Amino acid sequence: MLFFSYFKELVGKEVIVELKNDLAISGILHSVDQYLNIKLENTRVVDDTKYPHMLSVKNCFIRGSVVRYVQLPPDGVDVDILHDATRREARGG
Amino acid sequence: MATEEDSAVKEPLDLIRLSLDERIYVKLRSDRELRGKLHAYDQHLNMILGEVEEVTTSVEIDDETYEEIVRTSRRTVPYLFVRGDGVILVSPPLRTS
Amino acid sequence: MATDTGLESLIDQTISVITNDGRNIVGVLKGFDQATNLILDESHERVYSTKAGVEQVVLGLHIIRGDNIGVVGELDEELDSNLDLSALRAHPLKAVQH
Repeated sequence: MLFFSYFKELVGKEVIVELKNDLAISGILHSVDQYLNIKLENTRVVDDTKYPHMLSVKNCFIRGSVVRYVQLPPDGVDVDILHDATRREARGG
Repeated sequence: MATEEDSAVKEPLDLIRLSLDERIYVKLRSDRELRGKLHAYDQHLNMILGEVEEVTTSVEIDDETYEEIVRTSRRTVPYLFVRGDGVILVSPPLRTS
Repeated sequence: MATDTGLESLIDQTISVITNDGRNIVGVLKGFDQATNLILDESHERVYSTKAGVEQVVLGLHIIRGDNIGVVGELDEELDSNLDLSALRAHPLKAVQH
């Protein structure tokens, strides 16, 4: 639940989602669900010369299972809140 | 400061809990390694790392000599969410560095 | 509990799907479920190559199993009609390496 809650707080911010097929997609986080499936708006493939496969896509749904990384905006990370939430979750909370 | 409950290591994830806010080493699938400060994790080993250095290793075969050429590339990322299903191992802070 | 991550808003729209084996399938979304299984009508596959333009292979009505789906994109018809697919050169996408 920790990361589901965290990503819900991040809605509206710009992220870069890196997939397990090496595609990196930047966009505004529109929504997330409990599987960490992600919807992005105003998307752009970071290297769209090498990967022109999504040139006509501006909104997309990314299946959580194909996500390798999400690059987070520095103003979307409050480390103290994350530490507390992690300790709470580790205790089984 | 730490109470007994906080510092006891009974299961693997307890060791990771003790690494919160410390720099850790993470080995991932597809020949990737990360070093970064651990800010959050869950039971799947999903994580958020800060000041992350990623090293990726690839092996290419030279067209003429058929020799293996090992290439490593590095980059840094301020904050990174890492999906746990790619994690092979997590190592607590290196005391040597 | 879940926020609006469903694909309801894409029903009857043209979507572009990237599968885990690196294929790109374009079609009209007719249905989906919790597991991201999709029903696509009037679908075709876009085959990318570095030697020739994008080849479009007609598939028709297709069901794609959710486990094999990576990305579901809403195809912007205007942007898409401005693309010159016959001039695009690219390697096919890599398969997803779990």
